[in-house]
Amino acid sequence: MNRFLTKDFLAGLMFVGFGGLAYIAAFTDLSRYFGQSKLALGTAVRMGPGFVPQMLAFIMMALGAIIAISAVVTGSERIEGGKWKPIVMVTLGVVAFAVLFDPGNVPAIVSWFVPGLARWENPVSGLLPALIALVFLAAAGGDEFKWGETAIMCVALAVLCFVIFKWGLSMNIAMLNGVW
Amino acid sequence: MDILNNLAVGFGTAVTLQNLMYCLIGCLVGTLIGVLPGIGPVATIAMLLPLTFKLPPEAALIMLAGIYYGAAYGGSTTAILVNLPGESSAVVTALDGYKMAQKGRAGAALSIAAVGSFFAGTVGTLLIVMFAKPLTEMAQKFGPSEYCSLMALGLVAAVVLASGSVIKAIAMVFLGLLIGLVGTDVNTGAQRFTFNIPELSDGIDFAPIAMGLFGIAEIIANLEKRASRKVEQTVITSLWPTREEVRQAWPAVLRGTGIGSILGVLPGGGPTLSAFSAYTLEKKMSKRPQDFGTGVVQGVAAPESANNAASQTSFIPMLTLGIPSNAVMALMVGAMIIQGIQPGPEVMTKKPELFWGMIASMWIGNLMLVIINLPLIGIWVKLLRVPYRFLYPSILLFCCIGAYSLQNSTFHVMTVAIFGVIGYIFLKLGCEGAPFLLGLVLGPQMEEYFRRAMLLSRGDATVFVTRPLSAGLLAVTAILLILMALPALRKKREEAFQEDN
Repeated sequence: MNRFLTKDFLAGLMFVGFGGLAYIAAFTDLSRYFGQSKLALGTAVRMGPGFVPQMLAFIMMALGAIIAISAVVTGSERIEGGKWKPIVMVTLGVVAFAVLFDPGNVPAIVSWFVPGLARWENPVSGLLPALIALVFLAAAGGDEFKWGETAIMCVALAVLCFVIFKWGLSMNIAMLNGVW
Repeated sequence: MDILNNLAVGFGTAVTLQNLMYCLIGCLVGTLIGVLPGIGPVATIAMLLPLTFKLPPEAALIMLAGIYYGAAYGGSTTAILVNLPGESSAVVTALDGYKMAQKGRAGAALSIAAVGSFFAGTVGTLLIVMFAKPLTEMAQKFGPSEYCSLMALGLVAAVVLASGSVIKAIAMVFLGLLIGLVGTDVNTGAQRFTFNIPELSDGIDFAPIAMGLFGIAEIIANLEKRASRKVEQTVITSLWPTREEVRQAWPAVLRGTGIGSILGVLPGGGPTLSAFSAYTLEKKMSKRPQDFGTGVVQGVAAPESANNAASQTSFIPMLTLGIPSNAVMALMVGAMIIQGIQPGPEVMTKKPELFWGMIASMWIGNLMLVIINLPLIGIWVKLLRVPYRFLYPSILLFCCIGAYSLQNSTFHVMTVAIFGVIGYIFLKLGCEGAPFLLGLVLGPQMEEYFRRAMLLSRGDATVFVTRPLSAGLLAVTAILLILMALPALRKKREEAFQEDN
């Protein structure tokens, strides 16, 4: 199994995956499942929208295959394991920021899973809740998380953001939607 | 006389109160992120890009350029004082610079680095002035096939000069090109890879991608390593170098400037590679190579001049041909497009104030860096004491707000999150982000030129080799690729990069 858990082999697979996904999504009958109409290839003189993408998809798959096969044949560096906390918490933090910033985002995501849901707006949205969620989640992803310290950081950053973005650059950002 | 005239136009633009201020802001922000490890110029420029929308194009580009060369400058300050290179281009400076500081020569090392950088920056700026005109004139003869070949050359050269596996880097370029095609096809209006997401029909913005790949992924990697940073303060006694130190430094400055100027122009060259090469050259030239690493003046003077010269000359291909030579230049191209300026040979003739103003501002910016930074060194070092656990949530927050303000849409914030994860996977798999970003930025243009060239030649693909200029460019590309495939050379290259690390 160690032969396959190498950086190069997995990188090769990733490239084949991207190329294959592009090909399947745009040039096969499966394309409608991707919300994508099949792209016409056109001729070499008048290229259609699919000419260059198909070329790139084939090249990607070929390069990926070469990388993966040569990694199995000649061996490559083992992939290092990571910690789950930083990647999960930081990503969650950024996603939470995106979700909480706008009033319409939470309902939109919920409605993906609950079809037929009536339109509504999430009551708490704006820069402040987004900022607090991001900072706490991200800080919890590190090794030295302290509640008090993080709360103070939130306050300081909120003041800084207000001064820079609302006051200094007069950007159209709501600190708390409907309130401020 | 023409050159003097142009420079006068440039200084006329650069020396307005507004532009001087943006130049100063750019230099300060650049120095700041240069000092702080864990955030580089690519992520910062991507982050600040939305803030430049409202500025006039001159001010925006002057500020962004200031961040770039300010970062090269700030990285060396902390490399010398506390052995913490803030930027990869300052890694070699730390070798001898920190040793000099330990010997009590911190002040001398800093001022040699500053003056060497300023000299190199001046030479770099002069080179841009001299080469801008002829290169632009050559570029005006370019048809679509030449542009297509030139971009191929740029992308391949960027791959060859970047460290790491060549074939993986090439695959990354193609992946960038492929993702660059997402959006509405300009010629037919067909939706390509938009997956029914309306926000994607304008294409994926490169700024959130750069923030994810170079900002978020970097933060996650840093959190995994959990590098504890201990900062020891070095006392700076005198900034004046001794006569002996000056005598040793100036030839090294000259050589470093030369190497940096040449490598900066090459795609994929840039400050980091130049600094490494200049250091290696000094070691080879020296009568006492064994002394390197113990605090020799040349070991500071050469790489510092080289990285600054390179950050100046890397503007040449971007300004004259519209071809970015590294990830930062790719973002600059994006910044110009956002401002409604198509980078390329027309910029110089159509927007002379912008073109020459930017060049003049670079010289002014270099001067500012020397004047303001030597007194501010104490403050920069204090900033290093800020623990990383305070730093990274703030960086994340500014990334998110920056991404949002691109189009007042949280869609871009989600893009940042997604490309943060992708960038983390790239890091784990040893795939580099820079070739990907170059491919991404050049992708749409390259396809456009390719299709136009084929249309003009009535579908005859030989047009790329029958037109002499295009054939020449492709020949160089092919030679580069063949050279890389030769086992002997490949080994040499790997050794070279081994030495760097």
